Amino acid sequence: MNTDHQPHVIAFATAALLLIVACAPAFAHTGSMRGGFVGGFAHPLFGPDHVVAMVAVGLWGAFLGAPAIWLLPIVFPLVMAGGGVIGILGIPLPGVEIGIAISAIVLGLMVMLAAKPPLLIAAALVGAFAIFHGYAHGAELPPGADAVAYSVGFVVATGLLHLTGIAFGLVARWPAGRIAVRAAGGAIALAGVVFLTAAT
Amino acid sequence: MSALIGGLLQPLAVPAHILALLVFGLLVGQHRAAFLTSAAFVAGLAAGLAAIAFAVGQTPAVDVLLAATALAGTLVALARPLPILVAMALTAVAGLALGLDSPPETISVAAGRAMLVGTWIGAGLVLALVATGASYLTLWWQRLGTRIVGSWIAASAILVLALRFARGLMFD
Repeated sequence: MNTDHQPHVIAFATAALLLIVACAPAFAHTGSMRGGFVGGFAHPLFGPDHVVAMVAVGLWGAFLGAPAIWLLPIVFPLVMAGGGVIGILGIPLPGVEIGIAISAIVLGLMVMLAAKPPLLIAAALVGAFAIFHGYAHGAELPPGADAVAYSVGFVVATGLLHLTGIAFGLVARWPAGRIAVRAAGGAIALAGVVFLTAAT
Repeated sequence: MSALIGGLLQPLAVPAHILALLVFGLLVGQHRAAFLTSAAFVAGLAAGLAAIAFAVGQTPAVDVLLAATALAGTLVALARPLPILVAMALTAVAGLALGLDSPPETISVAAGRAMLVGTWIGAGLVLALVATGASYLTLWWQRLGTRIVGSWIAASAILVLALRFARGLMFD
């Protein structure tokens, strides 16, 4: 590790933190932080079907390994935004709730089985589900929400769910951790069955 | 004096401006020709603020800024530096749009000019701060974090553009 740069990195992180702290009253000044950002941040967190699928994406990364584990949090938000655009524009997409429930089942099974398909197939699978999740978020956007703050909150929350899954998935390096992660995948797949039953 | 300080803080008062400054700082920090790209941004910003001083009419600056932010975020996520002239053009357009979208909130001409100067200094400083910090992020996980932030900002900007279009606000 190059330690020469660490003081600069710490200084940068401190400056970035100060910038964020400075931004908070600015958002409050425009009246958008509390309604927009918090609303957007909370939206994915209060949908259990979204939560389990996002965490499953991160968990699956543990078995897919590099580079997939690090590509997912970069690519997923962009594809999900594409789905969000379709939802915001009101373009019909059939079977959204069913698609979201199936995403939990499939992704949960992938984790449970420790499946490791080629990167292209894994990316296509996750990307397809990202469109359903993005569509649902876009279509459910409250009309009065502040656009920028809401979108930032929503994307950050989704990304943090991925990172939570990735962080939990890192315990799969150890045998007991691997069992725990696969068990979590099984639980997510079961939850997906419940969501599918409710959606049909 | 208070007008100048108000101008200094103005870039931090608008969420779209914060996103733009953050992502363009990261883009400049990723680029080898950081000085030229940041200079292009500051020059574009000065041109936009000067246009405000000469009472330019309403422009679609916020939509241009969001589109530039989405593009810059995608480029940061890809971590593939643009050719120098293209990078300079993109950062100049973003600076111009940010300047045009920063009209001073004051009636007095003198205070308005002080605010514009403050905005120029404030936005330039924030960009320089982020770009300098980003240039030190050389470890693999630091570069990855930069790319993730770029991706999140691009996704946010794309959603906002779609919302503005759906609400009939785009180029309004």
